[in-house]
Amino acid sequence: MGQFGYIVKQAARNISHTWSTQLMTLLTVSLAVLIFSFFFLVYTNMLKAGARLDDDLRIIIYLENEIVPEMQKQMRKKIKDYGEVEKIVFISKQDAFERLSRQLGNDRDVLNDLGPSFLPPSIEVYPEKNLKTLTQIKEFSDFLATLPGASKVQYGHNWMERLGYFTKLLRIIVMLSGALLLLTTVFIVSYTIRLTVVARHEEIEILRLLGANNAYIQGPLFIEGFLQGFLGTSIGIFSLYLLYHWIKSRFSGPDILNIFEFSFFPPSITFLIICTGLILCSGGSLLSIRKYLRI
Amino acid sequence: MTSTFKIAEDLEESRPIVEAVKVTKVYTPDVVALQDVSFRINKGEVVFLTGMSGAGKTTLLKLIYCLEMPTKGLIEVNGRDLSKITSAGIQRLRQTIGVAYQDFRVLPKVTVFQNIAMAMEVLYKEPKEIKSRINELLDMLNLLEKRHTPAGKLSRGEQQRVAIARAAANKPQLLIADEPTGNLDKTISARVMELFKQLNESGTTVIIATHDETIFKDSKNMVLDLHHGQLSF
Repeated sequence: MGQFGYIVKQAARNISHTWSTQLMTLLTVSLAVLIFSFFFLVYTNMLKAGARLDDDLRIIIYLENEIVPEMQKQMRKKIKDYGEVEKIVFISKQDAFERLSRQLGNDRDVLNDLGPSFLPPSIEVYPEKNLKTLTQIKEFSDFLATLPGASKVQYGHNWMERLGYFTKLLRIIVMLSGALLLLTTVFIVSYTIRLTVVARHEEIEILRLLGANNAYIQGPLFIEGFLQGFLGTSIGIFSLYLLYHWIKSRFSGPDILNIFEFSFFPPSITFLIICTGLILCSGGSLLSIRKYLRI
Repeated sequence: MTSTFKIAEDLEESRPIVEAVKVTKVYTPDVVALQDVSFRINKGEVVFLTGMSGAGKTTLLKLIYCLEMPTKGLIEVNGRDLSKITSAGIQRLRQTIGVAYQDFRVLPKVTVFQNIAMAMEVLYKEPKEIKSRINELLDMLNLLEKRHTPAGKLSRGEQQRVAIARAAANKPQLLIADEPTGNLDKTISARVMELFKQLNESGTTVIIATHDETIFKDSKNMVLDLHHGQLSF
Protein backbone atom coordinates (compact mmCIF):
# COMPACT_ATOMS: atom_id res chain seq x y z
CA MET A 1 0.00 0.00 0.00
CA GLY A 2 1.45 3.35 -1.01
CA GLN A 3 1.35 6.67 0.77
CA PHE A 4 -1.99 7.62 -0.82
CA GLY A 5 -3.49 4.27 0.15
CA TYR A 6 -2.58 4.82 3.81
CA ILE A 7 -3.97 8.35 3.76
CA VAL A 8 -7.27 7.16 2.26
CA LYS A 9 -7.42 4.28 4.77
CA GLN A 10 -6.86 6.72 7.62
CA ALA A 11 -9.56 9.06 6.24
CA ALA A 12 -12.02 6.14 6.10
CA ARG A 13 -11.11 5.24 9.68
CA ASN A 14 -11.71 8.85 10.82
CA ILE A 15 -15.07 9.00 9.07
CA SER A 16 -16.20 5.70 10.58
CA HIS A 17 -15.18 6.88 14.08
CA THR A 18 -17.15 10.14 13.82
CA TRP A 19 -19.86 9.01 11.39
CA SER A 20 -22.79 10.70 13.17
CA THR A 21 -21.09 14.12 13.07
CA GLN A 22 -20.01 13.48 9.48
CA LEU A 23 -23.60 12.64 8.52
CA MET A 24 -24.95 15.81 10.12
CA THR A 25 -22.33 17.88 8.30
CA LEU A 26 -23.15 16.17 5.03
CA LEU A 27 -26.85 16.93 5.47
CA THR A 28 -26.14 20.55 6.41
CA VAL A 29 -23.93 21.06 3.36
CA SER A 30 -26.52 19.36 1.12
CA LEU A 31 -29.30 21.53 2.52
CA ALA A 32 -27.27 24.73 2.08
CA VAL A 33 -26.51 23.77 -1.52
CA LEU A 34 -30.16 22.85 -2.13
CA ILE A 35 -31.44 26.18 -0.75
CA PHE A 36 -28.90 28.21 -2.69
CA SER A 37 -29.28 26.32 -5.97
CA PHE A 38 -33.10 26.37 -5.71
CA PHE A 39 -33.19 30.17 -5.57
CA PHE A 40 -30.43 30.41 -8.14
CA LEU A 41 -32.43 28.17 -10.48
CA VAL A 42 -35.57 30.29 -10.07
CA TYR A 43 -33.49 33.45 -10.54
CA THR A 44 -31.83 32.26 -13.76
CA ASN A 45 -35.22 31.21 -15.12
CA MET A 46 -36.71 34.59 -14.22
CA LEU A 47 -33.84 36.32 -16.02
CA LYS A 48 -34.49 34.17 -19.08
CA ALA A 49 -38.20 34.97 -18.92
CA GLY A 50 -37.42 38.67 -18.53
CA ALA A 51 -35.13 38.55 -21.56
CA ARG A 52 -37.87 36.86 -23.58
CA LEU A 53 -40.39 39.52 -22.55
CA ASP A 54 -37.91 42.21 -23.54
CA ASP A 55 -37.70 40.64 -26.99
CA ASP A 56 -41.48 40.77 -27.33
CA LEU A 57 -41.79 44.28 -25.95
CA ARG A 58 -44.15 46.57 -27.80
CA ILE A 59 -45.82 49.77 -26.68
CA ILE A 60 -49.36 50.33 -27.93
CA ILE A 61 -50.72 53.86 -28.24
CA TYR A 62 -54.49 53.91 -28.56
CA LEU A 63 -55.72 56.87 -30.55
CA GLU A 64 -58.94 58.83 -30.36
CA ASN A 65 -59.33 59.01 -34.15
CA GLU A 66 -57.85 57.52 -37.29
CA ILE A 67 -54.85 59.43 -38.52
CA VAL A 68 -54.23 60.40 -42.08
CA PRO A 69 -51.00 59.35 -43.89
CA GLU A 70 -49.40 62.85 -43.56
CA MET A 71 -50.03 62.74 -39.86
CA GLN A 72 -48.49 59.27 -39.74
CA LYS A 73 -45.25 60.66 -41.22
CA GLN A 74 -45.13 63.38 -38.52
CA MET A 75 -45.89 60.89 -35.77
CA ARG A 76 -43.19 58.51 -37.02
CA LYS A 77 -40.66 61.39 -37.06
CA LYS A 78 -41.61 62.52 -33.55
CA ILE A 79 -41.29 59.03 -32.14
CA LYS A 80 -37.98 58.37 -33.89
CA ASP A 81 -36.63 61.72 -32.72
CA TYR A 82 -37.24 60.68 -29.10
CA GLY A 83 -35.63 57.27 -29.19
CA GLU A 84 -34.45 54.46 -31.38
CA VAL A 85 -37.25 52.19 -32.43
CA GLU A 86 -37.15 48.99 -34.41
CA LYS A 87 -40.41 49.54 -36.16
CA ILE A 88 -43.66 51.50 -35.94
CA VAL A 89 -46.92 49.95 -37.15
CA PHE A 90 -50.09 51.96 -37.62
CA ILE A 91 -53.25 49.95 -36.96
CA SER A 92 -56.49 51.33 -38.33
CA LYS A 93 -59.90 50.44 -36.95
CA GLN A 94 -60.33 48.02 -39.85
CA ASP A 95 -56.93 46.36 -39.23
CA ALA A 96 -57.78 45.98 -35.54
CA PHE A 97 -61.11 44.44 -36.41
CA GLU A 98 -59.53 41.93 -38.81
CA ARG A 99 -56.88 41.02 -36.28
CA LEU A 100 -59.49 40.42 -33.58
CA SER A 101 -61.54 38.39 -35.98
CA ARG A 102 -58.50 36.22 -36.74
CA GLN A 103 -57.73 35.79 -33.05
CA LEU A 104 -61.29 34.68 -32.31
CA GLY A 105 -61.03 31.95 -34.92
CA ASN A 106 -64.22 29.88 -34.99
CA ASP A 107 -65.88 32.26 -32.56
CA ARG A 108 -65.65 35.16 -34.97
CA ASP A 109 -69.43 35.02 -35.39
CA VAL A 110 -69.78 37.15 -32.29
CA LEU A 111 -68.49 40.06 -34.36
CA ASN A 112 -71.12 39.62 -37.08
CA ASP A 113 -73.40 42.36 -35.80
CA LEU A 114 -70.53 44.69 -34.95
CA GLY A 115 -68.59 46.85 -37.30
CA PRO A 116 -64.93 47.88 -36.92
CA SER A 117 -65.96 51.21 -35.45
CA PHE A 118 -66.03 50.02 -31.83
CA LEU A 119 -62.29 49.35 -31.84
CA PRO A 120 -59.88 52.25 -31.44
CA PRO A 121 -57.10 52.81 -33.97
CA SER A 122 -53.61 52.44 -32.53
CA ILE A 123 -49.87 52.69 -33.13
CA GLU A 124 -47.59 49.78 -32.17
CA VAL A 125 -44.07 50.87 -31.30
CA TYR A 126 -41.32 48.21 -31.09
CA PRO A 127 -38.40 49.79 -29.24
CA GLU A 128 -34.78 48.84 -29.89
CA LYS A 129 -33.25 46.16 -27.60
CA ASN A 130 -31.13 48.82 -25.86
CA LEU A 131 -34.20 49.93 -23.95
CA LYS A 132 -33.41 47.78 -20.96
CA THR A 133 -34.73 49.20 -17.75
CA LEU A 134 -38.28 49.66 -16.62
CA THR A 135 -37.57 53.35 -16.01
CA GLN A 136 -36.49 53.85 -19.62
CA ILE A 137 -39.58 52.04 -20.89
CA LYS A 138 -41.78 54.10 -18.58
CA GLU A 139 -40.19 57.37 -19.72
CA PHE A 140 -40.66 56.38 -23.34
CA SER A 141 -44.30 55.45 -22.78
CA ASP A 142 -44.90 58.73 -20.92
CA PHE A 143 -43.56 60.57 -23.93
CA LEU A 144 -45.78 58.56 -26.29
CA ALA A 145 -48.81 59.48 -24.16
CA THR A 146 -48.17 63.15 -25.00
CA LEU A 147 -48.50 62.56 -28.74
CA PRO A 148 -51.48 64.41 -30.29
CA GLY A 149 -54.57 62.22 -30.38
CA ALA A 150 -53.18 59.59 -27.97
CA SER A 151 -55.83 58.39 -25.50
CA LYS A 152 -54.00 55.58 -23.71
CA VAL A 153 -50.57 53.91 -23.74
CA GLN A 154 -50.17 50.26 -22.83
CA TYR A 155 -47.13 48.01 -22.59
CA GLY A 156 -48.14 45.58 -19.81
CA HIS A 157 -46.29 47.79 -17.33
CA ASN A 158 -47.91 46.30 -14.23
CA TRP A 159 -46.81 42.86 -15.21
CA MET A 160 -43.33 43.98 -16.18
CA GLU A 161 -42.90 46.01 -13.02
CA ARG A 162 -43.88 43.04 -10.90
CA LEU A 163 -41.48 40.83 -12.79
CA GLY A 164 -38.75 43.41 -12.32
CA TYR A 165 -39.34 43.68 -8.56
CA PHE A 166 -39.55 39.91 -8.21
CA THR A 167 -36.26 39.48 -10.08
CA LYS A 168 -34.65 42.08 -7.80
CA LEU A 169 -35.98 40.27 -4.73
CA LEU A 170 -34.71 36.97 -6.09
CA ARG A 171 -31.28 38.48 -6.68
CA ILE A 172 -31.14 39.45 -2.99
CA ILE A 173 -32.30 35.98 -1.92
CA VAL A 174 -29.70 34.34 -4.18
CA MET A 175 -26.99 36.52 -2.67
CA LEU A 176 -28.16 35.77 0.88
CA SER A 177 -28.43 32.03 0.26
CA GLY A 178 -25.03 32.19 -1.46
CA ALA A 179 -23.61 33.75 1.70
CA LEU A 180 -25.37 31.07 3.73
CA LEU A 181 -23.79 28.41 1.52
CA LEU A 182 -20.38 30.01 1.98
CA LEU A 183 -20.66 30.30 5.76
CA THR A 184 -22.25 26.89 6.23
CA THR A 185 -19.81 24.94 4.17
CA VAL A 186 -16.67 26.65 5.38
CA PHE A 187 -17.58 26.82 9.06
CA ILE A 188 -19.47 23.56 9.45
CA VAL A 189 -16.81 21.57 7.64
CA SER A 190 -14.09 23.38 9.54
CA TYR A 191 -15.92 22.63 12.80
CA THR A 192 -16.33 18.96 11.91
CA ILE A 193 -12.63 18.66 11.11
CA ARG A 194 -11.91 20.35 14.42
CA LEU A 195 -14.04 17.72 16.16
CA THR A 196 -12.06 15.01 14.39
CA VAL A 197 -8.82 16.67 15.47
CA VAL A 198 -10.06 16.83 19.07
CA ALA A 199 -11.29 13.22 18.96
CA ARG A 200 -7.96 12.07 17.53
CA HIS A 201 -5.86 14.43 19.64
CA GLU A 202 -4.06 11.64 21.50
CA GLU A 203 -3.50 9.62 18.36
CA ILE A 204 -2.16 12.63 16.45
CA GLU A 205 0.26 13.35 19.26
CA ILE A 206 1.55 9.78 19.17
CA LEU A 207 1.79 9.89 15.38
CA ARG A 208 3.95 12.99 15.65
CA LEU A 209 6.22 11.23 18.13
CA LEU A 210 6.46 8.33 15.72
CA GLY A 211 7.66 10.71 13.01
CA ALA A 212 4.54 10.81 10.86
CA ASN A 213 4.93 13.45 8.17
CA ASN A 214 2.43 16.25 7.51
CA ALA A 215 0.81 14.40 4.61
CA TYR A 216 0.10 11.40 6.84
CA ILE A 217 -1.56 13.51 9.55
CA GLN A 218 -3.19 16.25 7.47
CA GLY A 219 -4.02 14.27 4.33
CA PRO A 220 -6.93 12.29 5.83
CA LEU A 221 -8.48 15.46 7.25
CA PHE A 222 -8.22 17.18 3.89
CA ILE A 223 -9.81 14.15 2.19
CA GLU A 224 -12.62 14.34 4.77
CA GLY A 225 -13.38 17.97 3.81
CA PHE A 226 -13.06 17.15 0.12
CA LEU A 227 -15.53 14.26 0.42
CA GLN A 228 -17.94 16.40 2.45
CA GLY A 229 -17.82 18.97 -0.34
CA PHE A 230 -18.22 16.51 -3.17
CA LEU A 231 -20.94 14.39 -1.60
CA GLY A 232 -22.77 17.29 0.06
CA THR A 233 -22.89 19.38 -3.13
CA SER A 234 -23.78 16.39 -5.32
CA ILE A 235 -26.61 15.35 -2.99
CA GLY A 236 -27.87 18.96 -2.86
CA ILE A 237 -27.86 19.32 -6.66
CA PHE A 238 -29.37 15.88 -7.17
CA SER A 239 -32.18 16.69 -4.70
CA LEU A 240 -32.86 19.90 -6.61
CA TYR A 241 -32.98 17.92 -9.85
CA LEU A 242 -35.56 15.56 -8.34
CA LEU A 243 -37.53 18.53 -7.01
CA TYR A 244 -37.40 20.19 -10.44
CA HIS A 245 -38.77 17.05 -12.12
CA TRP A 246 -41.46 16.71 -9.51
CA ILE A 247 -42.54 20.33 -9.99
CA LYS A 248 -42.46 19.97 -13.78
CA SER A 249 -44.56 16.82 -13.80
CA ARG A 250 -46.93 18.18 -11.19
CA PHE A 251 -47.54 21.52 -12.91
CA SER A 252 -47.32 20.46 -16.52
CA GLY A 253 -50.04 21.96 -18.73
CA PRO A 254 -51.03 25.44 -19.86
CA ASP A 255 -49.73 27.29 -16.82
CA ILE A 256 -46.99 29.59 -15.69
CA LEU A 257 -44.17 27.04 -15.99
CA ASN A 258 -44.96 26.56 -19.64
CA ILE A 259 -45.07 30.28 -20.26
CA PHE A 260 -41.63 30.63 -18.68
CA GLU A 261 -40.16 27.45 -20.19
CA PHE A 262 -38.75 26.49 -16.79
CA SER A 263 -35.48 24.61 -17.31
CA PHE A 264 -32.73 23.04 -15.14
CA PHE A 265 -29.12 24.23 -14.96
CA PRO A 266 -26.97 23.40 -17.98
CA PRO A 267 -24.16 20.86 -17.19
CA SER A 268 -21.57 23.66 -17.02
CA ILE A 269 -23.43 25.46 -14.19
CA THR A 270 -24.02 22.16 -12.35
CA PHE A 271 -20.31 21.41 -12.60
CA LEU A 272 -19.48 24.93 -11.41
CA ILE A 273 -21.73 24.59 -8.33
CA ILE A 274 -20.18 21.21 -7.44
CA CYS A 275 -16.67 22.64 -7.90
CA THR A 276 -17.55 25.66 -5.72
CA GLY A 277 -18.85 23.38 -2.95
CA LEU A 278 -15.76 21.26 -3.27
CA ILE A 279 -13.44 24.26 -3.02
CA LEU A 280 -15.36 25.74 -0.06
CA CYS A 281 -15.38 22.48 1.92
CA SER A 282 -11.73 21.75 1.16
CA GLY A 283 -11.00 25.35 2.20
CA GLY A 284 -12.89 24.81 5.45
CA SER A 285 -10.91 21.69 6.18
CA LEU A 286 -7.61 23.46 5.36
CA LEU A 287 -8.65 26.29 7.69
CA SER A 288 -9.03 23.81 10.55
CA ILE A 289 -5.84 21.94 9.69
CA ARG A 290 -3.85 25.18 9.69
CA LYS A 291 -5.45 26.37 12.91
CA TYR A 292 -5.38 23.21 14.99
CA LEU A 293 -2.60 21.13 13.47
CA ARG A 294 0.43 23.38 13.37
CA ILE A 295 3.38 21.08 13.03
CA MET B 1 19.24 -10.65 34.28
CA THR B 2 22.16 -8.75 32.76
CA SER B 3 22.30 -9.26 29.02
CA THR B 4 25.56 -9.38 27.18
CA PHE B 5 25.54 -6.49 24.76
CA LYS B 6 28.30 -5.44 22.41
CA ILE B 7 30.67 -3.00 24.08
CA ALA B 8 32.20 0.11 22.54
CA GLU B 9 35.59 -1.49 21.86
CA ASP B 10 33.90 -4.22 19.79
CA LEU B 11 32.44 -1.70 17.40
CA GLU B 12 34.19 -1.33 14.09
CA GLU B 13 32.63 2.01 13.31
CA SER B 14 32.63 4.42 16.16
CA ARG B 15 30.86 7.40 14.64
CA PRO B 16 28.65 9.13 17.22
CA ILE B 17 24.89 8.81 16.95
CA VAL B 18 24.24 11.08 19.94
CA GLU B 19 26.62 13.77 21.05
CA ALA B 20 25.90 16.30 23.78
CA VAL B 21 28.19 19.17 24.69
CA LYS B 22 27.53 21.17 27.85
CA VAL B 23 23.79 20.69 27.59
CA THR B 24 21.68 22.56 30.11
CA LYS B 25 17.94 22.44 30.44
CA VAL B 26 16.12 24.87 32.69
CA TYR B 27 12.36 24.80 33.10
CA THR B 28 10.68 28.06 33.92
CA PRO B 29 10.96 29.75 36.30
CA ASP B 30 14.30 28.32 37.47
CA VAL B 31 14.16 24.53 37.76
CA VAL B 32 17.45 23.16 36.49
CA ALA B 33 16.77 19.69 35.09
CA LEU B 34 20.17 19.22 33.41
CA GLN B 35 23.40 21.15 33.85
CA ASP B 36 26.45 21.08 31.58
CA VAL B 37 25.85 17.51 30.48
CA SER B 38 28.35 16.22 27.93
CA PHE B 39 28.60 12.71 26.51
CA ARG B 40 28.98 10.80 23.28
CA ILE B 41 27.19 7.63 22.25
CA ASN B 42 28.58 5.76 19.26
CA LYS B 43 26.55 3.90 16.69
CA GLY B 44 25.77 0.35 17.74
CA GLU B 45 26.43 0.98 21.41
CA VAL B 46 24.21 0.06 24.35
CA VAL B 47 24.11 2.73 27.03
CA PHE B 48 22.41 2.67 30.42
CA LEU B 49 21.18 5.97 31.77
CA THR B 50 20.72 5.74 35.50
CA GLY B 51 19.91 7.92 38.42
CA MET B 52 17.29 8.50 41.07
CA SER B 53 13.81 9.65 40.17
CA GLY B 54 13.96 13.31 39.19
CA ALA B 55 17.65 13.12 38.29
CA GLY B 56 16.91 14.27 34.72
CA LYS B 57 16.86 10.95 32.82
CA THR B 58 13.54 11.55 31.07
CA THR B 59 14.49 15.16 30.28
CA LEU B 60 17.69 14.00 28.62
CA LEU B 61 15.78 11.44 26.55
CA LYS B 62 13.22 14.09 25.54
CA LEU B 63 16.06 16.25 24.26
CA ILE B 64 17.36 13.36 22.16
CA TYR B 65 14.04 12.72 20.41
CA CYS B 66 13.33 16.43 20.03
CA LEU B 67 10.36 16.68 22.33
CA GLU B 68 12.18 19.51 24.04
CA MET B 69 15.03 21.82 23.18
CA PRO B 70 18.06 22.49 25.40
CA THR B 71 18.30 25.88 27.08
CA LYS B 72 22.05 25.93 26.44
CA GLY B 73 24.61 23.70 24.81
CA LEU B 74 24.81 21.57 21.70
CA ILE B 75 23.09 18.29 21.05
CA GLU B 76 23.53 16.34 17.84
CA VAL B 77 21.66 13.20 16.85
CA ASN B 78 22.79 11.32 13.76
CA GLY B 79 24.92 14.31 12.81
CA ARG B 80 22.03 16.77 13.01
CA ASP B 81 22.32 19.80 15.26
CA LEU B 82 18.96 19.78 17.03
CA SER B 83 19.00 23.53 17.66
CA LYS B 84 18.84 24.13 13.89
CA ILE B 85 16.50 21.31 12.93
CA THR B 86 13.32 22.06 10.95
CA SER B 87 9.93 20.45 11.64
CA ALA B 88 10.40 18.23 8.58
CA GLY B 89 13.84 17.35 9.94
CA ILE B 90 12.30 16.38 13.28
CA GLN B 91 9.84 14.10 11.48
CA ARG B 92 12.66 12.41 9.55
CA LEU B 93 14.76 12.08 12.68
CA ARG B 94 11.92 10.53 14.69
CA GLN B 95 11.38 7.99 11.93
CA THR B 96 14.84 6.64 12.78
CA ILE B 97 14.25 6.55 16.53
CA GLY B 98 12.06 4.11 18.45
CA VAL B 99 10.92 5.28 21.86
CA ALA B 100 9.33 3.19 24.61
CA TYR B 101 7.85 5.83 26.88
CA GLN B 102 7.74 5.55 30.64
CA ASP B 103 3.99 6.34 30.51
CA PHE B 104 3.59 3.94 27.52
CA ARG B 105 1.51 6.34 25.38
CA VAL B 106 -0.63 3.60 23.91
CA LEU B 107 -4.13 4.27 22.60
CA PRO B 108 -6.54 2.55 24.99
CA LYS B 109 -9.38 2.02 22.51
CA VAL B 110 -7.15 0.64 19.79
CA THR B 111 -6.05 -2.99 19.62
CA VAL B 112 -2.56 -4.11 20.56
CA PHE B 113 -1.88 -4.90 16.89
CA GLN B 114 -3.01 -1.49 15.68
CA ASN B 115 -1.06 0.32 18.40
CA ILE B 116 2.13 -1.27 17.14
CA ALA B 117 1.17 -1.04 13.47
CA MET B 118 0.94 2.76 13.75
CA ALA B 119 4.72 3.00 14.00
CA MET B 120 5.18 1.05 10.77
CA GLU B 121 2.29 2.66 8.92
CA VAL B 122 3.77 6.13 9.27
CA LEU B 123 6.72 4.80 7.28
CA TYR B 124 4.27 3.39 4.70
CA LYS B 125 5.44 -0.20 5.19
CA GLU B 126 3.56 -2.97 3.38
CA PRO B 127 0.69 -4.57 5.36
CA LYS B 128 2.22 -8.02 4.91
CA GLU B 129 5.52 -6.86 6.40
CA ILE B 130 3.69 -5.11 9.24
CA LYS B 131 1.72 -8.22 10.13
CA SER B 132 4.72 -10.51 10.11
CA ARG B 133 6.92 -8.15 12.17
CA ILE B 134 4.20 -7.50 14.76
CA ASN B 135 3.46 -11.19 15.19
CA GLU B 136 7.18 -11.84 15.66
CA LEU B 137 7.42 -9.11 18.32
CA LEU B 138 4.24 -10.15 20.12
CA ASP B 139 5.39 -13.73 20.21
CA MET B 140 8.69 -12.68 21.67
CA LEU B 141 7.02 -10.54 24.32
CA ASN B 142 4.39 -13.16 25.12
CA LEU B 143 1.48 -11.02 23.90
CA LEU B 144 0.45 -12.87 20.76
CA GLU B 145 -2.87 -14.00 22.16
CA LYS B 146 -3.80 -10.45 23.06
CA ARG B 147 -3.11 -8.92 19.67
CA HIS B 148 -6.79 -8.09 19.06
CA THR B 149 -7.44 -6.81 22.60
CA PRO B 150 -7.86 -3.06 23.08
CA ALA B 151 -4.75 -1.78 24.84
CA GLY B 152 -6.88 -0.15 27.55
CA LYS B 153 -7.93 -3.60 28.76
CA LEU B 154 -4.35 -4.74 29.35
CA SER B 155 -2.42 -4.66 32.62
CA ARG B 156 0.32 -2.03 33.04
CA GLY B 157 2.98 -4.64 32.37
CA GLU B 158 1.28 -5.67 29.15
CA GLN B 159 0.86 -2.06 28.05
CA GLN B 160 4.54 -1.53 28.70
CA ARG B 161 5.36 -4.45 26.41
CA VAL B 162 3.12 -2.95 23.71
CA ALA B 163 5.08 0.31 24.00
CA ILE B 164 8.36 -1.61 23.73
CA ALA B 165 7.12 -3.59 20.70
CA ARG B 166 6.05 -0.35 19.01
CA ALA B 167 9.49 1.19 19.64
CA ALA B 168 11.21 -1.88 18.21
CA ALA B 169 8.85 -2.42 15.25
CA ASN B 170 10.85 -0.54 12.62
CA LYS B 171 14.25 -1.88 13.79
CA PRO B 172 15.27 1.77 14.37
CA GLN B 173 18.79 3.19 14.25
CA LEU B 174 18.34 4.37 17.82
CA LEU B 175 16.09 2.81 20.44
CA ILE B 176 15.29 4.70 23.60
CA ALA B 177 13.60 2.85 26.45
CA ASP B 178 12.52 4.80 29.51
CA GLU B 179 12.22 2.44 32.48
CA PRO B 180 11.40 -0.52 30.22
CA THR B 181 11.20 -3.10 32.97
CA GLY B 182 9.46 -1.00 35.61
CA ASN B 183 6.25 -3.03 35.55
CA LEU B 184 7.60 -6.40 34.41
CA ASP B 185 8.46 -9.59 36.22
CA LYS B 186 11.89 -11.22 35.91
CA THR B 187 10.97 -13.59 33.05
CA ILE B 188 9.36 -10.93 30.89
CA SER B 189 12.15 -8.46 31.73
CA ALA B 190 14.61 -11.04 30.43
CA ARG B 191 12.59 -11.36 27.20
CA VAL B 192 12.62 -7.58 26.78
CA MET B 193 16.39 -7.43 27.30
CA GLU B 194 16.76 -10.26 24.79
CA LEU B 195 14.77 -8.21 22.26
CA PHE B 196 17.06 -5.22 22.86
CA LYS B 197 20.06 -7.49 22.40
CA GLN B 198 18.75 -8.77 19.08
CA LEU B 199 18.11 -5.24 17.87
CA ASN B 200 21.57 -4.17 18.99
CA GLU B 201 23.13 -7.06 17.09
CA SER B 202 21.38 -5.91 13.95
CA GLY B 203 22.90 -2.44 14.36
CA THR B 204 20.50 -0.52 16.60
CA THR B 205 21.98 1.78 19.23
CA VAL B 206 20.11 1.25 22.50
CA ILE B 207 19.70 3.76 25.32
CA ILE B 208 18.01 2.33 28.40
CA ALA B 209 17.00 4.70 31.19
CA THR B 210 16.53 2.75 34.39
CA HIS B 211 17.05 2.80 38.09
CA ASP B 212 16.92 -1.00 38.23
CA GLU B 213 20.53 -1.88 39.01
CA THR B 214 20.07 -5.56 38.23
CA ILE B 215 19.85 -4.70 34.54
CA PHE B 216 23.29 -3.13 34.28
CA LYS B 217 25.30 -4.05 37.41
CA ASP B 218 27.54 -6.61 35.68
CA SER B 219 27.40 -4.94 32.29
CA LYS B 220 30.51 -3.69 30.53
CA ASN B 221 28.50 -1.16 28.57
CA MET B 222 28.60 2.56 29.16
CA VAL B 223 26.57 3.77 32.12
CA LEU B 224 25.64 7.44 32.33
CA ASP B 225 24.80 8.22 35.90
CA LEU B 226 22.76 11.36 36.48
CA HIS B 227 22.65 13.13 39.86
CA HIS B 228 20.58 16.28 40.18
CA GLY B 229 20.96 16.98 36.48
CA GLN B 230 24.70 16.41 36.35
CA LEU B 231 26.51 13.49 34.84
CA SER B 232 29.07 11.21 36.49
CA PHE B 233 30.58 8.34 34.48
